[in-house]
Amino acid sequence: MATPVPVLRLPKGPDPNSRGFDPNSPRYIALCRTTVATTEAAGGDEEELQQEQHARSVLRERFLRCLLAMNNKKVRFNMHENVTVEATFGSSDIDVLNFQVSDLHTPIGVQKEALIRSQDVISFTFDA
Amino acid sequence: MQGGWRACGPRLWLRHVDKRVKVKTRRQEHRGWLLSVDPVSASLVLVNLVESRASVCVVMGHAVEEVELLQDGGGETGEHIWSFLNPTPPCSLDAKQTRRKRVAVCSWLRKNRIPVEEVEEEVRVAGVLTIKAPYRSEDCSSSNQVILDRVQRLLRAHQEHAEAQDSD
Repeated sequence: MATPVPVLRLPKGPDPNSRGFDPNSPRYIALCRTTVATTEAAGGDEEELQQEQHARSVLRERFLRCLLAMNNKKVRFNMHENVTVEATFGSSDIDVLNFQVSDLHTPIGVQKEALIRSQDVISFTFDA
Repeated sequence: MQGGWRACGPRLWLRHVDKRVKVKTRRQEHRGWLLSVDPVSASLVLVNLVESRASVCVVMGHAVEEVELLQDGGGETGEHIWSFLNPTPPCSLDAKQTRRKRVAVCSWLRKNRIPVEEVEEEVRVAGVLTIKAPYRSEDCSSSNQVILDRVQRLLRAHQEHAEAQDSD
């Protein structure tokens, strides 16, 4: 039977003003400077920068809509060492460093609520 | 090849979008239509259609080793795939209906003490938020989360109000 496991410790979340992690915090620097910087080729060229910014916004909007579509869906995470876990997807933070999930089916039991570090995930799938 | 995909940049990613691609990670290989690439984490969203259902796979940017273009997509396939994820279909109104809706939305916002101005087809709120036709809560765009949330809530309340009146 699937039994909920008590929470031992949760990783520290983003700062409370919902702007994600402080980019100067050691944790952030250690994990990843996620935002992909503008390409050097674009240089100072105003028009190229604008094109790149447009591409970014189109891609990001699509990605965010995918995240929205994923909300409350059963998702299967493929992680390192051939570990596969199932959970109900909640959302991710703006830097895509963590995923919030519910009913995480781990090999030792079911965790009611959990945060999964995106660094530990290789891919995840769901059915729309 | 580590970091190669991440270094490609948004414009090259955009060229892969709506095409069939093959993505290699350390142990696995994924194939599917590329729906999008997150410009923040470089993660790919792949879609496969299996018996009229869509199976979506997100491959994290840090795990990607190689991306290969397999096939150029027709525009139709892209839209078809998109319809699985976008539950709100684009609503089509003629010019007259659009104008009526715009006037209704503006007066509703003004009634709620929100400063609005009409700029051609768009409605601007306090210079920081834009509402495009057909002026639903999904049509708002703003970089200010607080104002966005407030105005979206007002628009939703307006929609419910209008629906309640229709059913009377």
